[in-house]
Amino acid sequence: MKKILVILLLAVVGFYIAGTFFDIGFGNSHFVKNDAIKPVKDTYLQQTVQELKVSNTVTSIVVNFRGFDTLGEVTVLFLSVTALGSILYKKRHHVGERSVLFSASSIVTSGSKLLFPAIVLLGTYVFIHGHLSPGGGFQGGVIIATGFLLMLLAYENYSVSHTSLAIVESLAGVTFAGVGLLGYMNGGTFLQNFLPAGTLNDLFSGGVIPIIYIAVGFKVAAELTGVIYTVLNEKGENHG
Amino acid sequence: MVGTPVLFIAIPLLAAFLIPLFGMVWKESVRIIPGLVLAYLLVLAINLLSYVTVNGPIVEIIAGWAPPIGINLVFNAFSGFLVTLMIFMGLLVWLYSYRFKSNVEYEPARKYFLLLMMLITGSVGIVLTGDIFNMFVFIEIVGISGYALTAFYTGRDSAEASFKYLIMGSIASVFLLLAIMIIYSQLGTLNMADVASKMHLMDPKYKIISFILFVVALGIEAEIFPLNGWAPDAYAEAPGPVGAAFSGIVVKAAVYALIRYTYTIFDLSGAYNILIIIGLITLVVAEVSAIRQEKLKRMLAFSSIGQMGLVLVAFGIGTTEGVFAALFIMLNHAIIKPMLFFSGSYLVYHSKKKNISDVDGMGKLAPFTSIIFTLGAFAIVGLPPFAGFWGKLSFLVAAANSNMVLIIALILMVSVVEIVYYMRVVNRIFFFKRSTGLLARRPTFNAYIVMSVLAAIILIIGFYPDSVSLYLQNAANSLVDKSQYIHSVLTATIQ
Amino acid sequence: MDNMFYQYLDYAIYSSAVLVILIGLYGALVKRSLLKIVIGLSIMEAGVNLLFVAVGYLKNGTAPIFSAKGIEMAENGIKMVDPVPQALVLTAIVIGFGVTAVALSLVIRLWRHHHTLYIDEIKNLKW
Repeated sequence: MKKILVILLLAVVGFYIAGTFFDIGFGNSHFVKNDAIKPVKDTYLQQTVQELKVSNTVTSIVVNFRGFDTLGEVTVLFLSVTALGSILYKKRHHVGERSVLFSASSIVTSGSKLLFPAIVLLGTYVFIHGHLSPGGGFQGGVIIATGFLLMLLAYENYSVSHTSLAIVESLAGVTFAGVGLLGYMNGGTFLQNFLPAGTLNDLFSGGVIPIIYIAVGFKVAAELTGVIYTVLNEKGENHG
Repeated sequence: MVGTPVLFIAIPLLAAFLIPLFGMVWKESVRIIPGLVLAYLLVLAINLLSYVTVNGPIVEIIAGWAPPIGINLVFNAFSGFLVTLMIFMGLLVWLYSYRFKSNVEYEPARKYFLLLMMLITGSVGIVLTGDIFNMFVFIEIVGISGYALTAFYTGRDSAEASFKYLIMGSIASVFLLLAIMIIYSQLGTLNMADVASKMHLMDPKYKIISFILFVVALGIEAEIFPLNGWAPDAYAEAPGPVGAAFSGIVVKAAVYALIRYTYTIFDLSGAYNILIIIGLITLVVAEVSAIRQEKLKRMLAFSSIGQMGLVLVAFGIGTTEGVFAALFIMLNHAIIKPMLFFSGSYLVYHSKKKNISDVDGMGKLAPFTSIIFTLGAFAIVGLPPFAGFWGKLSFLVAAANSNMVLIIALILMVSVVEIVYYMRVVNRIFFFKRSTGLLARRPTFNAYIVMSVLAAIILIIGFYPDSVSLYLQNAANSLVDKSQYIHSVLTATIQ
Repeated sequence: MDNMFYQYLDYAIYSSAVLVILIGLYGALVKRSLLKIVIGLSIMEAGVNLLFVAVGYLKNGTAPIFSAKGIEMAENGIKMVDPVPQALVLTAIVIGFGVTAVALSLVIRLWRHHHTLYIDEIKNLKW
């Protein structure tokens, strides 16, 4: 009975929402046809080449134009790691006892030793070149965390020190907020770009944008590894 | 000026990232740093509020790009008043929970104070921001802190209450994103003032759908009926100070968001009536449910929801007097309800079930706590000469001036219901015999200070309502004046 | 022929994204196992992000990156896709991940306490 009600409700909601989006149309410019409407995206596309000299527009939006949102997002990640630690807190700490059901085969163990450095290198490349090609801090950090996950699944006694993860995380966060405050104290506004912008398509272009994105890359890698590590260290009560 | 509005967000974030590092060196720092941060922010808030009362709104630009290209923060009479109130209550909640769990290892304490600070910062961010998507990010910050704080105690049903809260919060985020999508796809901008100035160009059917999505999404956080299923359980299972923080800080921010969308951003004239209807249903259902409750904290939670319904009706009246009344009731609720939560949790401290019947005869054993609770109960039902009386009076005046007689009748009936269930508890405290062998718990020194401060404020507002009415009137004027908001944001430059 | 193709594409992409959202919502509201509820929430968030990115697409548009080839295409008059929804979805995906992590930790704690994942057996509070 409840299922039928829910399906009816979902059908109504879905009908209205899908109808709205069909009206909006796909693949054409759907902004209201009026001279007063100046979509912000045109200004972003223009200014990212002229003022910031950064080729990846999405990066310049995420770090510079809407950098405040990114600060909030980094905070959300930090808070979810804290929440994880506080919800799963046990009085007796069984560090190092893991709940793996069976050990990995030899293909996985030897292959992961080869792949791990390559994955970390790929992740580092992605977040260092975030302003030149698709990618950036979040994407690179996730790639690095995947490498750590591979190692944690392959080897039973592979461990990452909680303290060093916490230190990396905190320092990266302080760098982000600190760069913002430096922009503020340099006579401008919070998160303003105060380094010279350089030339387009160069590695050292974009002012503070690469610095912030590198800090974000480290932070995301450390946090995701910490999340995986905390959950993996759950000792199950009825299997050893 | 001692600073600018962006410091309300930047300083707590910096402190939050630094707390794990300091915690490794000196363990007491994890309790002290949030308190210092909140104290500095309170000084900043009072300073900025007095500046704004004389000089007009402050619009702060972030990242050096003027709106509507960049994000901006708006500190005007309305948002400034709410921010000051929220930080003041946050400081009191910190003070009250300072000796919290001091006999356990330092791990939980570090996370508790950090999460509490971020709950307050997120709420302040919701009120200060001038951008739709930024508000979504801050709502998520508040959400995650809320889920973790609700599940803080182990061994009770807290994980279940937190899980319910999480499910409803996620559904709220999805609807919020859908609404933002529709607005962006039509108007091409995400800045609140810009959207407000271009709203008349949007097709009405898109306006209505996105407004409904916004109301559902924000209503889940603001606990309107029927979206508040998560709230009574979350309040009952969370630690006492956290329940006070939810009802005093988080709900105010969510109601602010709802009001900002109704008054400033959307120009639907039917929206005010929708607010009145939602508010009335919430009020009636909550007050009726409150009578039937057995647990003290659940009763207080339903009473909170009812008060928020009253606030929504007052906002829905639409005139400046209605807004003034709504703000007065919000101010009263933000001060009185935490005091009730604080004293209530001390009255039922040792009982397992936290039922109302456990407070029988506490009047002789714990006189201070009982008197504080009684003062709070008198104040919230609106007895003169306490603070709640002036709030309800201005509401009745505003409703009478708009000829809404049915609403006046309903409000008076609901007030009678409120008096019944609060006086029932007061009666049991003082006039019943001790039936259970439960001991009373002496509050800690910090808790004494906090409860006395709140009681003093209630008496001051009760005897001299003019002390706050200047700020409330400025806030009401600034909310109703839509064009001033749009103008001050869109002509802001970097100083 | 071109027009008809884009018309069907129109409906197909939007309706599949909305369908994903509805499937997730159904899972979150109806299913009785905690893990399935969390999976439903996760699917719902994925659907919303998909819909958001789809809103920003322009026909025959190219990625908003000004590499050497990108500058050449921009001079030839080829439009760039809207970068703003992509940036917003980046934030939304990360936030969704954070919420899913907290949800799973709550499931672990409920399992620790009750040793079951079905909410019918856990129901201490009124659902």
